Amino acid sequence: MTARLAARRYLDMWFLGAMTAVLVLVFRTVTPSWLNGTVIQSIVAQNAPLALVAMAMTFAVVSRHIDLSPGSMLALVGVVVGLVYRDSGSLALALAAGFAAGIGGGLLNGVLVAGLGLNAIMVTLAAFIWARGLAVGLSGANPIVVHGGLDTLLNRRVAGFTITAPVVVAVYALGWYLLARTKLGRYTYAMGGGLTGARRAGIPVGRYTTAIFVLMGLMIALSATIVAGQLASAQPYAGGGLELDAIIAVIIGGTRLAGGEGGLGRTALGVTFVAILNSGLLNLGLTDAYYQLYRGLALLGVLSIQIWLRRVAVEEERRRADREQLAAPVAA
Amino acid sequence: MAAQATPATQAPRAPLADRVRPLAETFGTLAVAVGLVVAFGLTAGSFLDENNIRNILIQISVVGVAAIGETVVMLVGGLDLSVGSNVLLGAVVIADLAQRQAWPVAAAVALGLLACTGLGLLNGLLTAVVGIEPILATLGTLLLGAGLAKLVLHSSWIQVDVGFFDSLARDEVVWRLPILVVVMLGLYAVAALALRKTPFGRSVYALGGNWRAARLSGLPVVRTKVLAFALAGLCAGIAGMLQVGQLGIVSQGDAAGLEFEAIIAALVGGLSVTRGGVGRVERTLLGALIVGMITNYQTIRGVDPKYQDAVLGGILLLAILADRLFRGRQE
Repeated sequence: MTARLAARRYLDMWFLGAMTAVLVLVFRTVTPSWLNGTVIQSIVAQNAPLALVAMAMTFAVVSRHIDLSPGSMLALVGVVVGLVYRDSGSLALALAAGFAAGIGGGLLNGVLVAGLGLNAIMVTLAAFIWARGLAVGLSGANPIVVHGGLDTLLNRRVAGFTITAPVVVAVYALGWYLLARTKLGRYTYAMGGGLTGARRAGIPVGRYTTAIFVLMGLMIALSATIVAGQLASAQPYAGGGLELDAIIAVIIGGTRLAGGEGGLGRTALGVTFVAILNSGLLNLGLTDAYYQLYRGLALLGVLSIQIWLRRVAVEEERRRADREQLAAPVAA
Repeated sequence: MAAQATPATQAPRAPLADRVRPLAETFGTLAVAVGLVVAFGLTAGSFLDENNIRNILIQISVVGVAAIGETVVMLVGGLDLSVGSNVLLGAVVIADLAQRQAWPVAAAVALGLLACTGLGLLNGLLTAVVGIEPILATLGTLLLGAGLAKLVLHSSWIQVDVGFFDSLARDEVVWRLPILVVVMLGLYAVAALALRKTPFGRSVYALGGNWRAARLSGLPVVRTKVLAFALAGLCAGIAGMLQVGQLGIVSQGDAAGLEFEAIIAALVGGLSVTRGGVGRVERTLLGALIVGMITNYQTIRGVDPKYQDAVLGGILLLAILADRLFRGRQE
C-alpha cells in the first residue's frame, strides 16, 4: 500500500496535499487565530454543499459527463422546500417535496442525456438557466423563511461540530463504496473509458447514466436541505458558482475530464484545497478584486504544476512498459 | 410508390430523415429564426416594427461581438469561460484611461484591446502549451480578469462622457442603425470571410475536426489554438468598448454571465461543445438574434421579468431537442 502510494502517478496528489498544507501555514501566519475549532467547523458547514455536489460530480466526470446545473438546482430545491413549508406548515412534507424536486431534476437531465443522446453540457446549461429562473420566479426573488426545527437541528453543536460534518463524512464513505465496490462504480469507469465499448460489453448504459444524474439530484436535495437549515430560509440566489467550484475540486484532485480515471479520495483532497483556499482568502478580509485575483492565480499555478507532474508520471509508466516489453522476449 | 414501380432503373431512395438532415445542417437555424419571426410577429403586433427590430440588434451587439470569439474558440474544440470578465476588463480599462486619466480615445481603446488580447493569449498558452483543460484554464483567467478589472475600477462605477463613446450608440449609419450594430455586422462579415478564405481559417476547421490529422499534416496546431484564444480576447475587448458606448457607465456587475450568453448563441447557432470543426460563425449571429428575439418578445408580451430566464431556459431546451431531431444522435 505504501509503495503504491509512493508511485509517480500519485505525485500530483502529494503535491496538492503539500499545497493545502502551505495554504494552512500561510493563513495561520497571517492570522494566528485562524483554524481553531470554530473556524474548522464553519469551513465544514459552509462547504458542505460543495463537498456533496463534488462527490456526485466525480461520478459525472469519471463517466465523461459534466453537470452545470447544481448551483441553480440547489436554489430551486430550496425554494420548493420554502414554498411547501410556507403553504402547508409541515417540514416533513416540505423536505419530501424538496427531495422529489431534486431527484426529479436529476432524472430529467439524465433522461435527456441518456435516453435522447443529448450532450450533457447543453442539457445542464439549459437547466442552469431554467432552474435559476424558476427559483427566482417562484419565490418572487425574495427569501422564504423555513423553521419547523430544521434550523435548530442543523445549527446545534455537539462537541463543537454540527450535524453537517458527520453527514459529509457519511456521504463520502457511501460514495467511495459505490464507486469502488459496486456495479454502478465499475460501469461508471467503463462508460468513461469508452461508451461504445461499454455498450458492446452489455452494460445498460442509459440506465446507469441516468442513475449518475439522479445521484447528483439527491446530493443537491441534501445540500439544499442543509443550506435551508443553516440560514433558516430558502434563498433564490443560493448556490451561485457552486457547479464551477465543484468541477474545480474534482479536476484539481486529479480526476480527468476525459473520463475513465479518478476517484473519490482525489475529490476529497480537491474539495479540502478549494475550501481552505476560499475561506482562508475570505478570512483575510480582502476586497473582492484581490480575492478573485489570488484565487485565479492559485488555481492556475497549482493546475500548471500538476499537469507537469502528471506528464512525468505518464512518461515513467511508458518507460516501465517499454522495459517490460524489452525484457519479455529474453525470458521466453 | 413510384420508386416501387420501377425498381430496376431507380436507386432506392434514402429515408426522408436522411435527406432532410444535410438541409437542416445548413438551414436549420435560419428556419428556427424565421419561424420565430413569423410566430412572434403574428402574436405581438409591435414585434415587427422597424424600431423594435433595431432595438433587438442594438441589444445583442455586445454579446454578438463576444460570441464571434467564442465561436472561433469552440471551432478549435475549446471553450472560453473568461469572455464575460474579459469584456468587463476591456470596458474598465478603456473607461478608466479615457475618462479618469483623460488619455486620447485611440490610445485608451488600443490599450484596452491589448489587455483583453493579452488575457486571451494567456488562455491560449495555458491550454495549448501548458495543457490545462480549456474549461478550467479559462475559469482561472475568469477570476484573474474579474479581479484585475475590479482593481482598475477601484470604486463602484465610472461614468463616461467622452464624445466618441456616445456616438457609438447614437450616431446612425445606415437604415438608422447606430455604429455599434454596424461594427458587429462588419465583424461577422470579416470573421465569416477569414474562416473560409484564409490559411488560419482552414487550420481552425482542420484542427477542430481532427487534431491529430491536422498535426500530422504539418498544420501549426499550437499556434492556431493560441491565436484562436487571443482572437477571442480581442473580440471581448471590442465588445467591452461597445458596452461603454451602449451603457455610458461601467460598473462591477456588468457582463457577469455574458460568457454563458455567448456560448448559448453559438450553441443555438449549431456549434458543438464536444466536437470542434463544425459550424459557421454567421449562424452564431442567428443564434444571438434568436436569443435576443425571445428576450424581446417576452418583454413586449409583458412576461414577468422574474420568469424570463425560466422561459429562456425552457426554449433553449426545446431548441436542443429540435436540433437532436433534425440531426440525429451525435456521439
